[in-house]
Amino acid sequence: MVSVMEKYFDISYIWTALPSLLPFLKVTLFVSSITILSGTFLGLILTIFKLSHNRLLNKIGNGYTTIIRCTPSIVLLFLVYYGIPKLAEEFNVNLQNINTAIFVIITFTLQFAAIMSEVIRSAYQSIDKGQYEAAVSVGLSPFQAYWRIIFPQALVIALPNFGNGIIAVLQEGALAYTIGFIDIVGKANLMITNNINAHALEIYIALAIIYWALSLLIEKFFSMLEKTFSKGKKTLETT
Amino acid sequence: MSQGLNYEFLIDTFFVALSGISITLLVTIVSLIVALPLGFLLAMTRINRIPVIQRIAQIYVSFVRGTPIIIQIFIIYSSIPLILKAFFDKYNIQLDIYKINPIWYALIIFSFSTTALLIEVFRSALGTVKKEQLEAAYSVGLTTFQAYRRIIIQQVLVVALPNLCTTTVNLIKATSLGYAMSLPEITLNAKVAANMGYNYVEAYLDIFIIYLILCMTVEYIFKVLEKRLSKYKMANA
Amino acid sequence: MLEIKNVHKSFHKNAILKGVDLSIDKGDVVVILGPSGSGKTTLLRCINFLERADKGHASFGDIKVDLHHAKKKEIHAIRQKIAFVFQNYNLFTNKTALENVTEGLIIGRKIPRAEAIIRGKQALDKVGLSEKYNAYPIELSGGQQQRVGIARAVALNPDIILFDEPTSALDPELVGEVLSVMKAIAKEEGTTMLVVTHEISFAKEVANRVIFMDDGVVVEEGSPHEILVTPKEERTIRFLKRVIPKDYIYQI
Repeated sequence: MVSVMEKYFDISYIWTALPSLLPFLKVTLFVSSITILSGTFLGLILTIFKLSHNRLLNKIGNGYTTIIRCTPSIVLLFLVYYGIPKLAEEFNVNLQNINTAIFVIITFTLQFAAIMSEVIRSAYQSIDKGQYEAAVSVGLSPFQAYWRIIFPQALVIALPNFGNGIIAVLQEGALAYTIGFIDIVGKANLMITNNINAHALEIYIALAIIYWALSLLIEKFFSMLEKTFSKGKKTLETT
Repeated sequence: MSQGLNYEFLIDTFFVALSGISITLLVTIVSLIVALPLGFLLAMTRINRIPVIQRIAQIYVSFVRGTPIIIQIFIIYSSIPLILKAFFDKYNIQLDIYKINPIWYALIIFSFSTTALLIEVFRSALGTVKKEQLEAAYSVGLTTFQAYRRIIIQQVLVVALPNLCTTTVNLIKATSLGYAMSLPEITLNAKVAANMGYNYVEAYLDIFIIYLILCMTVEYIFKVLEKRLSKYKMANA
Repeated sequence: MLEIKNVHKSFHKNAILKGVDLSIDKGDVVVILGPSGSGKTTLLRCINFLERADKGHASFGDIKVDLHHAKKKEIHAIRQKIAFVFQNYNLFTNKTALENVTEGLIIGRKIPRAEAIIRGKQALDKVGLSEKYNAYPIELSGGQQQRVGIARAVALNPDIILFDEPTSALDPELVGEVLSVMKAIAKEEGTTMLVVTHEISFAKEVANRVIFMDDGVVVEEGSPHEILVTPKEERTIRFLKRVIPKDYIYQI
């Protein structure tokens, strides 16, 4: 049995694959960073919609979240990749030469914004209204109250979910290869086709290890952040 | 030159895509049936800190959450044929590994993935149940099994429901990746139809609509379930 | 100094305040008594614009506002003259005791940091918390937190401090420390105070006026002796009977 496995599976191949794959990690990380920034910004706007007194804005905010949360990533990717140029055609704008990265960023920004709008909303709503009242009672303007009192508290509450959201978007991003984007997964698939599909398993395992390591790093980072920011709180474990 | 949407194709493909829905639902439901009890039991091993199993469960969950589902699919889809081939060769079984119905791969992968995710869901839900509940149950003479079945599980489910809903919706979305295994679910069927006339936008719009309806229905079902199960919470409202 | 006229406020269909008039002079310590639901807290919150009254006027020194139509600038100006002590303390959980006290000074009143810190420390000393400048609210007992809340109000040097049931959320053994701080502020500093409370002893020992409210209106008002020992209205008598133990004789 072992000799048969050896014919098809070579563990050392995992190591040799890594140097070819790792340079493309930069692409993955770059695209993810932009997605996180723009997604958080859009998510903040959506949260404001959801919490506003305006019924229409509420509907838009909540409707957007529901729709995105019910859409598989590749479906969203393809709709953006094929749909936006098609839409642009209607206005006689030619989008044929736009870098695939743009479509990737748009798609995952839309997705991340939906996640973030829920993260921000629930963090904000878990803060006692009395904090805002006390702030304006000592003479802070509403903006100052939000910025100096509410926001720091909301940030700490949101941190764990923010970290999870980042890990989630990183993993959904692995699907970018389906529209031809050459990030680390795209490169892996290129390597596999070059090898006429031999040693595909080893390459996939290498990919898995890279993503796993990345996720663990992000988790540790956010754990550390939480500890630093939780100065005003004691968690249940210490009592 | 703009052509607008091909509405005829849009409607036709809708039904083609819809034909995939039975496979989607089949994979989802079977995966859940496997994953729910397994996830619950493994979550219990983590809460009760059973030595070896707890560690394995921890690493298992970390792997599933830390790697993209598509890569898990690739790995399992590539490795099972290898293992099976070695196995068949050794025992001279004459089955052709390439003729295995993709649905078996799909069931294995999605059960594997969903179980891990549910371990986390149940772990945090179990953490919210007060120890006093179990103690009270013991004091009136219930065995551990009875205590869990009649009291604890309902409380755990109520707390876990929102996350269970999210997990189910995510599972349904993940099945769209079944095309990578040639699984004839919604996405693959529509893609095949689209490839013939290059009507990608229409095809994906159809797929989009079907998933939207499917997921919204699931969310609605869970909302109703939640209301039913949390009746005991509203008692003093 | 502060005059409130004809305040009305309803929540959904329930009328909580049905036309309340109130006037306070400098140096007054006014206690508002009344059963729950009488509107005492709502009245206080309307004065500070934490609730928006449906109708009413207020004049604060030479500033006059319509309580319903007041604009942001007017609200801000009024809040500069008033400080509020909350039933649930509402200390900023992410700031130390000293930072809680200086926040309003530095950001709200734009006082330079060094001066604000000095004032903050003085206020905390006054309430007996000199050891706790750098403690976070979670490290403090309820009584200590409320004292920080009072220091926060006092440091602002307001024209009037509003107290909304300051001791109702405290364990009984912590009530005393807060009441003695309030007493010290009233007697030694001569601060003008409007206090909603159930602590009759405070009304007796510190207040110079007592107001009894019930069902959204002022039923009776006068000196502590007049209200507590010789009440005239039926409702006042009924309330006091429930609240004051029968064989506790007042000597004022």
